[in-house]
Amino acid sequence: MTLLRAEGLTKHFGGVAAVEQLSFGVEPGEILGLIGPNGSGKTTALNMLSGFLAPDAGRMWLDGAPMERLSPMQLARRGLLRMFQMTRVFARVCALDNLLTAGLARGLAEDEAARRAHELLAELTLEPVAYLDAAQLSGGQRKLLEFGMCFIEPPRVALLDEPFAAVHPVMRETMAKFIRRRNAQGHTFLLVSHDMPIVVELCHRAACMNAGRLIAIGPTRDVLRDTAVIEAYLGSGSHG
Amino acid sequence: MSGPGNLWRRRLATDFRAALAIVALLAVLPLMVTSPYTLGILIVSMYFAMLALGWNLLAGFTGQFSLAPAAFAMLGAYTTALLDYHAKAPLALGISAAILATALMGWLLGRVVLRLRGPYLALTTLSFAEIARVVVGNSHEFTRGDQGLNVPSLMESRVGYYYVFLAVLAAVLALLFMLMRGRAGRFWLAIRDDETGAESRGINVVRYKTLAFALSCMVCGLAGSLYGTFSQLVSPELGLLLQTGLVIAMVVIGGIGTLTGPILGALLVYLASEWMRGFGNVQMIVFAALVIVFARFFRTGLWGLASSRLATRGGAPAKPAPSSP
Repeated sequence: MTLLRAEGLTKHFGGVAAVEQLSFGVEPGEILGLIGPNGSGKTTALNMLSGFLAPDAGRMWLDGAPMERLSPMQLARRGLLRMFQMTRVFARVCALDNLLTAGLARGLAEDEAARRAHELLAELTLEPVAYLDAAQLSGGQRKLLEFGMCFIEPPRVALLDEPFAAVHPVMRETMAKFIRRRNAQGHTFLLVSHDMPIVVELCHRAACMNAGRLIAIGPTRDVLRDTAVIEAYLGSGSHG
Repeated sequence: MSGPGNLWRRRLATDFRAALAIVALLAVLPLMVTSPYTLGILIVSMYFAMLALGWNLLAGFTGQFSLAPAAFAMLGAYTTALLDYHAKAPLALGISAAILATALMGWLLGRVVLRLRGPYLALTTLSFAEIARVVVGNSHEFTRGDQGLNVPSLMESRVGYYYVFLAVLAAVLALLFMLMRGRAGRFWLAIRDDETGAESRGINVVRYKTLAFALSCMVCGLAGSLYGTFSQLVSPELGLLLQTGLVIAMVVIGGIGTLTGPILGALLVYLASEWMRGFGNVQMIVFAALVIVFARFFRTGLWGLASSRLATRGGAPAKPAPSSP
């Protein structure tokens, strides 16, 4: 069964159609890349899928259960976790305490949360900054910390919004490794990214949006060769 | 969850020990201070310390900037006074009712302001506080309006009162410490730092924000109820915005987002306020200026400065969790 499914999702802001009749599904164990030029509606789609924005029309299911009326908190508790383009960590507590808080929020016992937090700090190369307040971390370190907060209790689906944007190449590689490793264990991702090499490297399939609509979906390389996708990125007349 | 893997708890434990040291110092003071006037000033300082701890739970730990702590103290005091005046209810019942009533009103206020942030939240709580004060002041038939209500005293002994206030202050401190070192404390800090982030991690923001409102207002209501029995007169003046301003000054000067800061700030500011009486009505000018200086240059307050020194000397992670709601 499709793990995360959207059917006819629509969101208008005034007269502007941010997302129009968006339908797609994320299969268990896959990494689906959601791509598209700036303003194509990717983040609006992610906001609807993660419960931060109510759709004007359309339906969504998580593992077969309707989810359009659920709040972000309820979705998180059902295993749909969101990473933000602008990181949302708890700035005035240390990195380790951020992970512990995330673990407790997902219902872990304190000792178990602490054990997993230390493992994640090591895996994400954050041990040297474990006791620094999150406000003191670099942008890349905060993104790594958000990965840890998402995965302290593995989600059923992780929604990642531009995790690689403006991140040092070494940290990008740490993030990519983390995603590959978790995916190899069967975890599912919906990845929004502008970084095409990373999308090609990581994503089994890609879905491309333009002007709020889905214009192509399929194996990543096929989507990137799609004429409509090339036109969306480069403008009409760019091929042939 | 002990050991090095828990910086927040180590900071909190250091903070709590310092607050306990102040409480211990207060406990031995009556051995040296016998003047009823001075004891009275210390009792009022402890009343403000409770208000400051209550407000700090909301503003310092949860990031919800309320302007209603004095209004809830007034409502707590009036609950006890009205039960005595109209129903001749015993004080124990009156004080318990004040705790319950202010917790319930705090919970309701928390629900009303749930989606409000920053200036909108502050203005809404300010409106609530002013409405409450005006309603109490104008309900002559029920509350005797600005004339106020007489309240019987819990006891004759001023030293006895001193220790009642100290015991309640210690109990409030212990309750806050227990809450802050547990799940609720971590979730409040998360809400303070990033409400959206907290919700997206699965924290029930609605529940924990309303809980913080209810507890904070309950502490203020309890303080007001006790203060009413001590002063033996409650009036709408208890809920003046000026009183809230004094509470905010105490917390900012002492150290917002800590347990020690509000107690330290309340004692220093109120004692200084009494000392300054001799120089005319300059207290609020001085405290407002101090708030500006602390907010600009020493955001962690006096306890923040002191704990940084301790950490530098001993290598202990005594840094408080500074907050600027």
